[in-house]
Amino acid sequence: MTRKQKRLSVIAGGLTFLGAATGLTFYALGQKASYFYMPADLTTASVQPGQRIRLGGLVEKGTIQRGQGATVGFSVTDTHKSVKVTYTGILPDLFREEQGVITEGSFGPDGVFVADSVLAKHDERYMPKEVADGLKAKGVWQESKSE
Amino acid sequence: MVETGHFALVLAFALSLVQTIVPLFGARLNNQRLMAVGGPVAVTGFALTALSFVALASAYANSDFSVASVWENSHSLQPMIYKITGTWGNHEGSMLLWVLILTFFGALVAAFGSNLPATLRANVLAVQGAIGAAFFLFILATSNPFIRLNPAPIEGRDLNPVLQDLGLAIHPPLLYLGYVGFSICFSFSVAALIEGRIDASWARWVRPWTLVAWMFLTGGIAMGSYWAYYELGWGGFWFWDPVENASFMPWLAGTALLHSAIVMEKRSALKIWTLLLAILTFSLSLLGTFLVRSGVLTSVHAFATDPARGVFILCILTLFIGGSLALFALRASRLTAGGLFHPISREGALVLNNLFLTTATATVLVGTLYPLALEALTGDKISVGAPFFDLTFGPLMLPLLVLVPFGPLLAWKRGDIIAASQRLMAAFATALAAMLVTGLFIDGASVFAALGIGLAVWLVAGALTDLAVKSGVGSVAPAVMFRRFAGLPRSVFGTALAHLGLGLTLLGIVATLSFGTEKILTMRAGETVELSGHTLRFVGLYPAQGPNYSEDRGRFELIGISGSPVGEISSAKRFYPVRQTTTTESGIKTLGLSQLYISLGDEAKDGSVVVRLWWKPLVTLIWGGGLVMMAGAAMSLMDRRLRVGAPSRRRKQAEAPAVLP
Amino acid sequence: MLFWVIAAILTLGASLAVLLPLAAGAKGASSSGDHDLEVYRDQLSELDRDAGRGLIQPAEAAEARAEIARRILRLDNADTAGQASAGQASVTVRLVATVAVLAVPLVSWGVYSQIGSPDLPAQPLSARLAKNPADSSVDELVARAEAHLAANPSDGRGWDVLAPVYLRMQRFSDAVAAYRNAIRLDGDSAVRQAGLGEAIAGAAGGIVSADAQDAFEAALKLDPANAKASFYLAVALAQEGRNKEAATAWQAMLGTLPQDSPWRSAVEQALAKSASPEVASGAAAKGPDASDVDAASSLSPQDREAMINTMVAGLDEKLRQNPRDPEGWMRLVRSYVVLGKADQAREALARAIAVFGAGSDEAKKFTAFAASLGLTATE
Repeated sequence: MTRKQKRLSVIAGGLTFLGAATGLTFYALGQKASYFYMPADLTTASVQPGQRIRLGGLVEKGTIQRGQGATVGFSVTDTHKSVKVTYTGILPDLFREEQGVITEGSFGPDGVFVADSVLAKHDERYMPKEVADGLKAKGVWQESKSE
Repeated sequence: MVETGHFALVLAFALSLVQTIVPLFGARLNNQRLMAVGGPVAVTGFALTALSFVALASAYANSDFSVASVWENSHSLQPMIYKITGTWGNHEGSMLLWVLILTFFGALVAAFGSNLPATLRANVLAVQGAIGAAFFLFILATSNPFIRLNPAPIEGRDLNPVLQDLGLAIHPPLLYLGYVGFSICFSFSVAALIEGRIDASWARWVRPWTLVAWMFLTGGIAMGSYWAYYELGWGGFWFWDPVENASFMPWLAGTALLHSAIVMEKRSALKIWTLLLAILTFSLSLLGTFLVRSGVLTSVHAFATDPARGVFILCILTLFIGGSLALFALRASRLTAGGLFHPISREGALVLNNLFLTTATATVLVGTLYPLALEALTGDKISVGAPFFDLTFGPLMLPLLVLVPFGPLLAWKRGDIIAASQRLMAAFATALAAMLVTGLFIDGASVFAALGIGLAVWLVAGALTDLAVKSGVGSVAPAVMFRRFAGLPRSVFGTALAHLGLGLTLLGIVATLSFGTEKILTMRAGETVELSGHTLRFVGLYPAQGPNYSEDRGRFELIGISGSPVGEISSAKRFYPVRQTTTTESGIKTLGLSQLYISLGDEAKDGSVVVRLWWKPLVTLIWGGGLVMMAGAAMSLMDRRLRVGAPSRRRKQAEAPAVLP
Repeated sequence: MLFWVIAAILTLGASLAVLLPLAAGAKGASSSGDHDLEVYRDQLSELDRDAGRGLIQPAEAAEARAEIARRILRLDNADTAGQASAGQASVTVRLVATVAVLAVPLVSWGVYSQIGSPDLPAQPLSARLAKNPADSSVDELVARAEAHLAANPSDGRGWDVLAPVYLRMQRFSDAVAAYRNAIRLDGDSAVRQAGLGEAIAGAAGGIVSADAQDAFEAALKLDPANAKASFYLAVALAQEGRNKEAATAWQAMLGTLPQDSPWRSAVEQALAKSASPEVASGAAAKGPDASDVDAASSLSPQDREAMINTMVAGLDEKLRQNPRDPEGWMRLVRSYVVLGKADQAREALARAIAVFGAGSDEAKKFTAFAASLGLTATE
């Protein structure tokens, strides 16, 4: 191999590598990213059972049920629709009725959302961004400057 | 005192403007006097910033609620340590810490840069001054920590309870030392581009700064990871949270820079690439600052969100990244390329390292920014989490980790891969054995677990092999071998330690993920539970009163083989009345290198409590490996080669008499 | 004054940092070529050490030495080429120097005069607490007590003194904690338990919850004549809709309360309201919080009415600014009903319905709620 060929092969190798990495990245983005929905969005979007999504909204008042063991059931609502969620584990410290929450998981065949992680807003002033945007879009929540 | 601090901050801003303009003109006009201004101004600017920071810290320590930021983030009942650490536990204070570190590094360049070529030194200080001026302006315009309240409120609003923790007190300063340390590399790169030439001493100067920055960044990331692990109560050590990624990207790029700078220093090759990498690394640090500070991301780490700040930082970001890259595009062609090398050589290995690391950085960047871009363009909200990074970052890291032990064993210019492989046979055999033992003898070990453990052992054994080969194990007499070992350059130890630490971290990660166990259950006082061979008894819940919180402390006893308690673990739910916030204090018991981790949940009506328990084998190695990496960097820093000033100055003095008539 | 002196000294120091190097004579400059040569020499010596230690093969060492030598040669060529521009436009230099020296005081004093508060002294908490107590506001006294308790958290008496103050200040959760501490450290007493109950109820927005009831019952066990506990237990009954039982309990209280008891008027008021049964549920609990009515009951009748009116007006004002607060609207409507201002109650109801739209769920809720208070919207 001449020097030029050598250099070309190095460049070709590098490009192939970068191409493969780029392909992998976009494949992974398509497969592994989870979309965020509010309960009312689910009527229009087709979400298959088993598909990972993030579901956000408010914890509906009076729906928190502590079942056997550490499993908790509650409903997430955007005041238009609500979705039943079950979660096994320790709820975050700030999990309360009528507070913003984001759950991540997938729908079971029975239409109940099985969450494997639950995030609640983390201080007085902070509402999960997605939930706040979603609620604002639905005209439910308004920003208030009052402390 | 408070207003003195405020005035000092304004004065430091004025000096940073002088520091930007005067040395730059000096270098341009080749005027010694103008260039000489840079040094004293940089040192004075640092002193003033330090004064300002001390003033703010003392306002925090004395609970001076006439200062708005103290009122918002402190409380008179907080323990003194959190009063002081509260200084940087909020947006305004942490930005002041940022510029304090920036001016500190600038002052170091000024103080120890006397052996640098005058124009290079002037340009470097000018670029540092420009970065400083931008951030001083940012602070004064949008995040002034010295805004006053009159009349002063009686009581403050308390620091976010999640941040009232020693780990978080150390984490930001370390992280900032890392982020901002890379600003020096950036300034050197831009200075070289302004001059249109790279001195031979350039890499020698940049490498120690890279090492320092990298060392602190490693520590900061490890500290942050440990903090999230025990404070958030989820038992996880890395969440691929955008803010974590924001600190991880400069680390990856910085690691690449660390390696390419070696090539540049030794062989004068990869000059242009190293320059670009230095610019990119600091750009990623700025991007990290932007992501965290602007509120574009909402995360456990984001203190506050304010669009004006976001726009301002975005402008700084555009100015510095855009400006430096444009300068690079204009000037890079004027720089001369360096030495040639064979693909299979130390240089080749380091290039490969750079290829993998920068590609990995790019995937993290895409994973972090793609959701933001998608939301801005289409309104779709997605989250990119661990599954994405497992699929992209993972496959990139695996081959890199396999190749790590080969690098240090290859010769410069033209290496012998077969000889290197032969030397690594013992390490390979050890790794293979570890893999087989894991796969065959540990219950429930998956193929991935076995491979992972094998890879980790391979890294550790490879690092040790490097030391063994270089001290001549097997080829020379033991006495000679010992002398050689003791005489090895510190940087060789540094390399080996850093690679060893990497292996240990990997070992901790693989062991925790593959062999860790977890239980969630409800327990009543007196009940016992067994987890991976450890028996825990729940003693009960006890209320207690802290200085600024009340808590329910759940006590657990670790029962030994004899049936009697051998240790106690307690986890608590704390309630901070000022912010009406509850936090979970996890209970952790370290057994050897492994840990038992308990997190307390809600109390049910019948008095039972939800408890989540984890057994995390070898988990401490994750952060222990980080410490070893830091030790490696420190070792490398002590290498005489990096103390550029020393040989040069001594020789000058020796030569001086001969020049005199 | 001292501040201005310090500021002037700092400015002077900063200006000197600019001025002195400009004034000093130029030092002998070394060309960048000298620096490069140093580095190459050092590389050569390092190479020798490595070769001596056997870290690299002799052949490689020779090759590397040749390479460094080539770099040194190239350096000589470059150095002779780049020696052109030295002494340059001294006018520009002087201009830059002047601007730089002037910039320091001008920029700093200019910016600081815009954003600083030079007249405001530092006010550390300790200094403010050390002032004469007579000059201090209630807030400062509380802060002082808190500082004392932070240092001596097991001072039961301190908690005991602070707890009712918190209650007055409507810092209910602090009051709960303080009462609990007082009970834990100084033992049970009817007054403390009743206070605890009131604090819990206050924290729950006036609802006498099961926890609060427990506390009141504990108080009555210790002192059957505790008026506060009896009063609130009756409120709890009323809140559960058991108006008759509540009225009976209040009647019984009137029989036993001493003539000069401050509770008389509160009980009489509650009774008067429970006579118009539909509002009893809200009687003492909502609108102005129970504790406010309590506080108000120790005032003269005119003052009391003024205080309650101010609070209701405050709520009204808050809802004008921030209308999407269904809870708040219900509280307002109920407050007006409690105060006997039916017109204003109706007006508030109409406004509430207008905010959420006539057909909305909230509007229906409001109408139903108003009906339960005996109020009908005039449509």
